[in-house]
Amino acid sequence: MSGFRRFLAKRIAVSALLTLISVTIIFFVLRFLPGSPFESLITTGNLSPEQAEEVFALYGLDKPLWQQYLVYLRNLLTFQFGYSILQSRPVWAILGPKLANTLVLLVPALVTTAVVSTVVGMYAGWNRGSTTETTSVAVTTFLRSTPVFITAIFFLIAFSYTLGLVPAFGMRQVTATPNGLLDTYLSIDFLHHYLLPFAVTVLYYSGDFLLLARNGVVEKKGSEFLKLHQAKGLTEGEQLLRAGRNSLLPVVTYFALRLGMIFQGLILLEVVFGWDGIGRALVLAIEQQDYPLVQAAVFIMALAVIIMNLVADVLYAYLDPTVSTSGGAV
Amino acid sequence: MSAESVSLGERIADRTDRVWSHLRFLARDRLALAGLITLAVFVLLGLFGPTIAPHHPIEDYVRTTQGDIVRLAPPSADTPLGTTEYGKDVLSQFLAGAQPTLIVGLLGGVGTGALGFLVGLVSGYFGGWVDEVLMRLTDLTFSLPFMPMALLLLTFITPNVWLITAIIVLFLWKMPARVVRSEVLSTRERTFVKSARASGAGHLRTMFLHVAPNVLPIGFLYTAYGVAWAIAAQASLAFLGFGDPTTTSWGRMLRMVFESGTIRIAWWWVLPPAIGIAAVTTSVFFIGRAYEELINPEIQNQ
Amino acid sequence: MTDTDQPLLEVDDLRVRYSTSEGSVYATNGVSFSIDNGVNYGLAGESGSGKSTAAEAVLGLLPENGTIDSGEIRFKGQNLLDLSAAERRDVLWEEIAYIPQSAMDSLDPVMTTGGQIRQAIKKHRNVSRTKAQERVRELFDIVGLDPERTGDYPHEFSGGMRQRVTIAMALALEPDLIIADEPTTGLDAIVQDKILDTILDIQERIDSSLLLITHEIGVIAETCEELSLLYGGKVMEQGSVDNVLINPTNPYTMGLKNSFPEIEGGGDPVSIPGSPPNLSQEPSACAFTERCPFATQECEQSHPDLADLPNRNHRSACHHVERAAQMRRDAAQPDTWGIDVEDGEESETGEVVLETNDLQKWYEQSQSIVSKFRGETPTYVRAVDGVSLSVSRSEILGIAGESGCGKSTLGETMALLSQPTGGEFTFDDKPYEYYQNGNMKEFRRKLQIIFQDPFDSLNPRQTVRKLVGEPLTIHDYRTDERATAITETLETVGLPTTPAFLDQYPHELSGGQRQRVAIARALVVDPDFLICDEPASMLDVSLKVNLLNLLRRLADTEDIAIVYISHDLASLVEVSDRLAIMYLGRMVETGAVDRVARRPKHPYTNSLLSAAPEKDPSVERTRVLLDGEPPNPVDLPSGCVFAPRCPKATAECRSEEPAPDAAGDEGHTAACYFPEDEGNPIVREAGQNRENESVGD
Repeated sequence: MSGFRRFLAKRIAVSALLTLISVTIIFFVLRFLPGSPFESLITTGNLSPEQAEEVFALYGLDKPLWQQYLVYLRNLLTFQFGYSILQSRPVWAILGPKLANTLVLLVPALVTTAVVSTVVGMYAGWNRGSTTETTSVAVTTFLRSTPVFITAIFFLIAFSYTLGLVPAFGMRQVTATPNGLLDTYLSIDFLHHYLLPFAVTVLYYSGDFLLLARNGVVEKKGSEFLKLHQAKGLTEGEQLLRAGRNSLLPVVTYFALRLGMIFQGLILLEVVFGWDGIGRALVLAIEQQDYPLVQAAVFIMALAVIIMNLVADVLYAYLDPTVSTSGGAV
Repeated sequence: MSAESVSLGERIADRTDRVWSHLRFLARDRLALAGLITLAVFVLLGLFGPTIAPHHPIEDYVRTTQGDIVRLAPPSADTPLGTTEYGKDVLSQFLAGAQPTLIVGLLGGVGTGALGFLVGLVSGYFGGWVDEVLMRLTDLTFSLPFMPMALLLLTFITPNVWLITAIIVLFLWKMPARVVRSEVLSTRERTFVKSARASGAGHLRTMFLHVAPNVLPIGFLYTAYGVAWAIAAQASLAFLGFGDPTTTSWGRMLRMVFESGTIRIAWWWVLPPAIGIAAVTTSVFFIGRAYEELINPEIQNQ
Repeated sequence: MTDTDQPLLEVDDLRVRYSTSEGSVYATNGVSFSIDNGVNYGLAGESGSGKSTAAEAVLGLLPENGTIDSGEIRFKGQNLLDLSAAERRDVLWEEIAYIPQSAMDSLDPVMTTGGQIRQAIKKHRNVSRTKAQERVRELFDIVGLDPERTGDYPHEFSGGMRQRVTIAMALALEPDLIIADEPTTGLDAIVQDKILDTILDIQERIDSSLLLITHEIGVIAETCEELSLLYGGKVMEQGSVDNVLINPTNPYTMGLKNSFPEIEGGGDPVSIPGSPPNLSQEPSACAFTERCPFATQECEQSHPDLADLPNRNHRSACHHVERAAQMRRDAAQPDTWGIDVEDGEESETGEVVLETNDLQKWYEQSQSIVSKFRGETPTYVRAVDGVSLSVSRSEILGIAGESGCGKSTLGETMALLSQPTGGEFTFDDKPYEYYQNGNMKEFRRKLQIIFQDPFDSLNPRQTVRKLVGEPLTIHDYRTDERATAITETLETVGLPTTPAFLDQYPHELSGGQRQRVAIARALVVDPDFLICDEPASMLDVSLKVNLLNLLRRLADTEDIAIVYISHDLASLVEVSDRLAIMYLGRMVETGAVDRVARRPKHPYTNSLLSAAPEKDPSVERTRVLLDGEPPNPVDLPSGCVFAPRCPKATAECRSEEPAPDAAGDEGHTAACYFPEDEGNPIVREAGQNRENESVGD
């Protein structure tokens, strides 16, 4: 077990270092590119020079760069994201609910697609060359390769504008004022708005899981150990289960990786469907040059990817009996 | 002498045969064939689209005989794909819009493939600290989220086709790099590489003449995927309003419809660019998948 | 079935065809044989003979593109091909069990070994989990595995132990027939011997029949009572092992038997020239006619029927059975097969080219930064640990040893592909440091190494011309007469020199041709020294013999010094002048080949020699079975490294390591305090040997 612990320690150290470098890059990108967000705020007349100085002081922008950098680091790592420039509210208070909205949409969708697509993919791989296989691969290839906002537009035109089955925009009716968690996420109205973005997300991600599972099973199908399973008298279904179990590992790690990217949201999807998530918030914040908000959103997204990368690596080492954590297979 | 020339002819025929047998996978796979045709049409559009467009996509207004601007007209004989909210000819925009899509797609894809291939090759071949540094670098680009970072960069610098291409390459090279590296790692262990080293070949020779040709197919494959990713990324950026403001692209057309709020009615304005992008990216992937089946012995039929 | 006259398994006129993208492959063309109750039956043949296909058809494991065109497979009188899929599954394992070829890949990697056996039991018997587990522990014990390890995963076992797991699995339900497909291929001689011993022992105990498929005639000669010999999907000869192997009546059997090199005398092996038949259509002539020196007009007309020979259990498919005695005499002569006989004169060995003195190659085990920081002494894998040897011009030094003994590392260290970590090493009277300081090119030209795998040793993207020409470019050697140099070298190794051949890619060549191209690549720059690391291990027997003859000729006529590294003692004895036996990174015995092979001094050499099967069924072999497997070369015992497995080890052996020349004289040394005497070989009970050692890395 000490080998595993050592491996874990190394991975965590690498992840911490990556986080540090990432936030540093974000910091310098924001500072050094021509036209700092504050300058443009002043030149467009949104801030008077006095206000600007106030803001500068508030964000420590009057201090030398290295001090700014240290303050910035301390703030980020303690999740002190400061105040939104435009809305004059704590950044966390603005982003929190939006992050929740994103997760409510994407986590169930990702879990659904991971389970369903993997099962379909395994079945397709086992029945190589069948209609099920060719059709499912063709359809999911289309869904995966087409940019998600275009699929979303197709779905909008079909199910919302033409058939009128579901609303096209937002998370609930404009008049709705939900109270409490239950009302927010479990009302019929919400569900009605939820359907279309959910369906598009599920379909968009289906391709990767389906192909991973299918390729895994196809590879395993000619393997010697399945031949022995067959010789033992296992039925075809039982053989498929063993082939599936043997190709599950990449699917599980891929799921973890995808989960990390989920915090970035499907920015485009949120924009098209008017889903009030973190991705849409980021786009708006960039357009409005709300600098602390942007910084916080990007940081959360980067951190999520790094953490889930770590989880994926550890999961892999933990789940695969043949991977030795001290490096390579035995 | 004649025997020599015959054998030379045979050799050429043999070469051509081999190229054809490699391309035959396209004919076997109907989807890949359809993809290839779509792609050919797209390339022609990209090359000649602006020339054959009946109107200038941005400057010209479509007007009635009275001189009124025709807004949001459905397809008709005059304007086969109708007009936009702003009175522009959709067909002309569609034809002209293929060009930036093609440029970014091609350059972005090739750039992604080439950079990723080189990094993967060097990293996998030399291993050790070179590998460690390069792989941590790919980890880093993985943890910097593409879309948000691209948006950030493009807020500060006025977008143009070249900048967008550069940003795409900067963020996408990690994909081929990882795959090529793992492929190089297993190729490097193969006996013929050891044998090349043992017969005195230097590192550069071994790397480029022995290892590289054997991982080239996977490099091609990821270049193809890179093209699709680049097109999708460019369209997405344009859709969010971060495209090159001076040229028409399919993504930008979609942004215009969406912004004007007429997406509900103006299907003739939405569908051409949407179908165009979907068709091109899907085609590239279909060809890529067929090629993948060909080069991956593990998922081939026996 | 109480009818004892009825054979257990009858295969009748079995025809299996594979459809591939390049057309059909006719794998078996009317194979018939029958196995009686309690009989061990051998199915022999080279690769592509259809022997595995026949076994897969019996088991119902043919791949999807294989179809049975005609024939019957009757098991206890019941045609298996008539059964439904579900009925067929019931027969599997309950009555017919299977020991697969590659135990390395045959066990499910993500399921415990015990779990896989339990699964087989529970599939067919309605027993509780505890009952099944009890049985698994019992089975582990029977096959010589630690019953405590049923919860371990396959990768935690060594190759030989994994094969024991599959044997335990085959035994689980005490089937009537066990089909073993090359059960020992890829295992070291000693392990192979122990596995065969285990199979026989158990199979006798539960009184089942055995169908053994192998390409090694020796294995069949020792274990089976009856056999069928396949070639081109046809049965060439069939009957009791004694009849067929002692008095073969079919030219193919004669050729195959003569081409096996043997440790103990028996003359030089004679290879069968040519390559196996193309099976893209059913053979209309005798399948062997193209390679048969006795073929006549009649042989072109039809494949002969398998005809009974009078008064004995022996059938042969040959148009000229009546000439069998004459053919047997002729077949032993190489010129019958159109092979030029080299004059047996061996050139004198010249001056010493390469010499090592106490050469070491240790690998540092990966260590955490923390323990490095603490200054803990790192542990080392002692792959090569103090090897002293010398090789002269025109001499072939054979290095023998089991896998993991460090012989390949030794080869690569001598080729300076990895840096020696200690000891001296001179080549051409200059120390290796001289070459490493800027004279590497010179070294790389003079010393060449040939690797094991002919299928992977050539760059698949280069033509023969480029492959053979590349070393010339690298070393700027004979570049003005490139074409001539390439042609000459190809001629030396016996390959065609036509432009068509020069433009071929490796995948268009046969295994033997590829290995020759690899040798040509080495020879084209006129080296002084050649290291061959298992060059023949993946070749069929007749190709192997060709290769050995080629190397012998190179040493004799080109004055090249050769080191031949292999685990195959028979080949080594055939080709070498001197033989060195390696165990755990050191040489335990060195000497002239005849003396080492005939009068071994070290007990390890003795057991290695005794593990090789005899192809003559009338010869009784004394087995020397060793306990366990070589230990991990990290924590080596003090004293003689062989002591833990040595039947003669004493306290002295365990406390102090014997010098390499502790026994013997100038021409033959052994690192042993108690060398073998001729009249006093160590023989031990060939019983059960439990393997408890953990697997090395």
